[in-house]
Parts: sequence; structure tokens; C-alpha cells
Amino acid sequence: MEDLTEMLKGTLEGCVLQIIGGEETYGYAITRRLNELGFTDVIEGTVYTILLRLERNGLVRVTKRPSEKGPPRKFYALNDAGREELARFWAKWEYLSSRIDKLKEGGR
Amino acid sequence: MNFWETVTGSDLTRAWKAFEARAKALPAGHRAAWERIKAHLLPRSGFTGRDLLPVLDGVLGLLEETAADGQGVDEVLGDDIAGFCAALAGGEGLRDYRDRWREQLNSNVARKLSRLGG
Amino acid sequence: MGIRDIIEGKKHWRAHVARVKALPPDYRIVYGEIQKYFFKVGPVNLPDGRLLSGIVDFFEEGAAAGRPVLELVGHDVAAFCDDLIKDSPTYTDIYRASLGGEPGKTS
Repeated sequence: MEDLTEMLKGTLEGCVLQIIGGEETYGYAITRRLNELGFTDVIEGTVYTILLRLERNGLVRVTKRPSEKGPPRKFYALNDAGREELARFWAKWEYLSSRIDKLKEGGR
Repeated sequence: MNFWETVTGSDLTRAWKAFEARAKALPAGHRAAWERIKAHLLPRSGFTGRDLLPVLDGVLGLLEETAADGQGVDEVLGDDIAGFCAALAGGEGLRDYRDRWREQLNSNVARKLSRLGG
Repeated sequence: MGIRDIIEGKKHWRAHVARVKALPPDYRIVYGEIQKYFFKVGPVNLPDGRLLSGIVDFFEEGAAAGRPVLELVGHDVAAFCDDLIKDSPTYTDIYRASLGGEPGKTS
């Protein structure tokens, strides 16, 4: 779907946390996962800025690992603070989506 | 901690000298703009100049880059140097400059990449 | 002594420049313009050096994978830059605060 960028902005960080929470992974793989999911407009640069923020806020553990070609790759995994943040994200998301569903169904 | 806080008093003098040396290397138009910018910014407060260093460093860098790119000083600052300084020192205009730099960044990238043939 | 000279000392800066020079031409162009933009805007996290060296890390990975630079950062390079320094005040912000004026107001 096109033109999701604005709407996706606030939730993309949560999506990245969820992906990292599944398994330790790196920027390009995260981007590809999001693209495959249907968020085709998400570029690696955006994911890079999110990862940088997660690192600065102490939510991830970063490990440099050698890659077959090119420089070593930075791999990201959630730490305890990251897992708490992810739980908070899903709680907020469920609150938000349940309210919006209600609105759509015409309830109060 | 702010990096600039580590600059000591004697370093401050040295920094000023270095600024002036860099300014001397600028083309005449850019150098004149530098003098006017200094004249506008310096009387703005009674402080030592330490806080102003990074701002002036940025301004010098801007003048140097644009001179190297062959851009006229009017293209960068417009004819309103007072307005530019007011923007730097807390006026309303800063957002406009930031927007202009933003546009310059994207158009320079587009122009130089197309020249590359890709 | 420009910001260039102070970032982690001249030696580190030269090593940094050498890494930039080793990038493919399209990456080098975009890196150069990004650096220019940051020097103008003056985010306070610039002199710790990690902002710029982090970008080179990121670019080296993309270049090694053989991908064009704009595929990585998108066509709105400025938006990418602003995203990177979103949480960081600029030197102008600090200067303004030192004057004791209200932000966004001429004192």
C-alpha cells in the first residue's frame, strides 16, 4: 500500500523492536522483512536511524560480526529494557486499535 | 557534557586566531560578509565568546564550502546579513535557512549524481 | 581549528577521510553533502565523531552489497539527516540559551 509513511511513523520503531525480539538480526534484513510484510516504502536509511536511536536509548545489545564480503555487520538483539519497551508498545497498540475499531463500528 | 566547555581560555585566543586565518583565505565578498556577521553577533552580549565559537565555526564553514563551490555570497545569505545574524542568535528566520540548506543538500546530491551518469 | 580538526584529533579525522575516499563515487558524493549540511546546522553530537563515522559504517555495508546509495538513504537525503539529529540540539540552540532569550525570539 502506498502513502503509509505518515501513518506508519509512530509505529515503525515498535515493528523494528518486534523483529529484533524474534531473533538477533541486522539492518538490511530488518528492512527486507518490513518490505516483504507490505511496507514497501520503508528504506534502509529509516531503519538505520531507528536502530541508532534504540542503541542510544539502551534498548538493544549490539554485536559486530564479520560478513562474507565487506565490513563487519552490526547485529541487534533486545536486552531487558528493550523487551519492556516492546511490551509497552503492544499495550499501547492494542489500546489504540481497539478504540479505533470501536469508532469505526459506531460505538461510543 | 558539551564538548566546547573543554576549550580553555588560551585555546579561545588560539581559536580566534585560527578563525581569522581561515577568514583571510576567503574570497573578498565572503570575507566582507564574515566581517559584517562578526560585527552583528559580537555586541549581542557581554560574554567571553566561548558560546559564540561553534556558531562562528559553522558560519565560517558555510562561507568556506560555498566559496569552494563557486557560489556567490548573495546566493547563500541573501542581501540581508542582519537578518541572517538575528536568525542565528535567536530570531525567527533560522527555520528559513535550515529549509534552504535542506533544499541545497537534496539538489546538490541530485545534480552531482546525475553528472556521474547514474 | 575547525570542527574537522577537533573531532577526536587530527589523526582520527585523517583515518575517517581515508575511509570516505575508499567509498564508491555515488556514496562519496552523498556523504560529502551530508557532512556539509551537518557543519552548517551544527548538531552538538557532531564533534564526538560517532555521527559521521556511523554513517560511514552504514555506507560501507551498503557499498559492499553493491547497492546504489539512494536506495539506502532515499531521495530525500535531508530528511534522513534530520532524522539522525532529531534528538540533538544545535549550537545555535545553545548560543541562544546562553543569551537567556526565549527560544525563537530575538532578545
